[in-house]
Amino acid sequence: MAVDARRLSNGPPAAAKPSSAPEGLSAPLFHSLIQRLHSGGRWVVLDLGAVRSATIRAFGGFRCRLEFVELADGLDALNGEIDPRRIRQGADALLPPRRSEPIDVVLCWDLLNYLNQPALTAVMECIASRCKRGALAHGLIYYSAKAMPERPSTFVPVDDQRIQQHVTPGRERPAPRYSPEDLARCMPRYTVERGRLLRNGMQEFLFKL
Amino acid sequence: MFEIGKKGTPEAGPRPESSPARTEPSPSRSSAPVSRDAAVIGPSIHIDGDVRGEEDLLIEGEVSGTVQLKNNSLTIGPQGKVIADVYAHSIYVDGYLEGDLYGSERVNIRKSAQVKGNVTSPRVSVEDGAKFKGAIEMDPQAAQNVVGSRMSAQRSAAPQQTAPKPIVQPAKPEQPAVAKTGAAS
Repeated sequence: MAVDARRLSNGPPAAAKPSSAPEGLSAPLFHSLIQRLHSGGRWVVLDLGAVRSATIRAFGGFRCRLEFVELADGLDALNGEIDPRRIRQGADALLPPRRSEPIDVVLCWDLLNYLNQPALTAVMECIASRCKRGALAHGLIYYSAKAMPERPSTFVPVDDQRIQQHVTPGRERPAPRYSPEDLARCMPRYTVERGRLLRNGMQEFLFKL
Repeated sequence: MFEIGKKGTPEAGPRPESSPARTEPSPSRSSAPVSRDAAVIGPSIHIDGDVRGEEDLLIEGEVSGTVQLKNNSLTIGPQGKVIADVYAHSIYVDGYLEGDLYGSERVNIRKSAQVKGNVTSPRVSVEDGAKFKGAIEMDPQAAQNVVGSRMSAQRSAAPQQTAPKPIVQPAKPEQPAVAKTGAAS
């Protein structure tokens, strides 16, 4: 479904939602993030996932620049490299160039689970170097479940309080189940502002730079 | 630089009244709105340089450089490959585009599209399934400012009244490129 960001941003989100739309998963920290955007001003948002019309719709009501990188395309290369310098170079190449206007918000969705620890460190460091101080990153970590889909899922906002997971069909693989301590070690420039356990067993995190 | 269909010149002559693009829509073909009067850069045409014009344009071939249609729409068809910054009133992408898009009215990226670049327009839509890497400027004020300044810069850079003959295929009914464009809206 094509979504015109400008047009739909004028109406209530529910008006654009198909009647058969799935319920979605309540994500209070995503809601908290959207609430902050409501405070006004201009925002630069980096989405590490693939472009989705629902994401454009969700951010269409704000004065923002929305960047998409589809990090999933580069996961194998990042995880397959052992030289930290080359991992960093690979991550830099995948991410958008540094601009005069730094990033305010990063949407990681579940991609952090698919990076091994050296790659996670390099990617998040490269992202941090593109962000402004106080930037926020929203991530979903497999916490209760021991397995996760072989490839990253697609997450889309259903509205400003719920997100929907579209699982890529295929096998499963062990989930790394990163603990807050793991994340703190791999992402030293980020602090966990808040964490919430979601209904599906994933831990929702809001990180702050 | 290639000038497309300057009004009042023989090159901008009338297009056939009924084109297959208008009369034979097919779901498997491009569904972007292509005017029956649109000029066509066919699949076998490669252009290196600047393309400017004052009529709608469908690209099914390859273009490298810049494309500017300040008051008209540009459609990059499913076979089209454009490596260029694009300035147009409306831009519809079904094919491959590497470059920045500036649409003074709208930019529509269809599900078959592959786009690597930044999009600036007051109205932007992207269909699920499209491959997109880049940024979408969703701040209406910033979009207006950027598009306005870019369009002005492109206009002032354009040479005046030195239009060479076009290297653009007219939209003849028997032309394969037109037949493949599918539905017009």
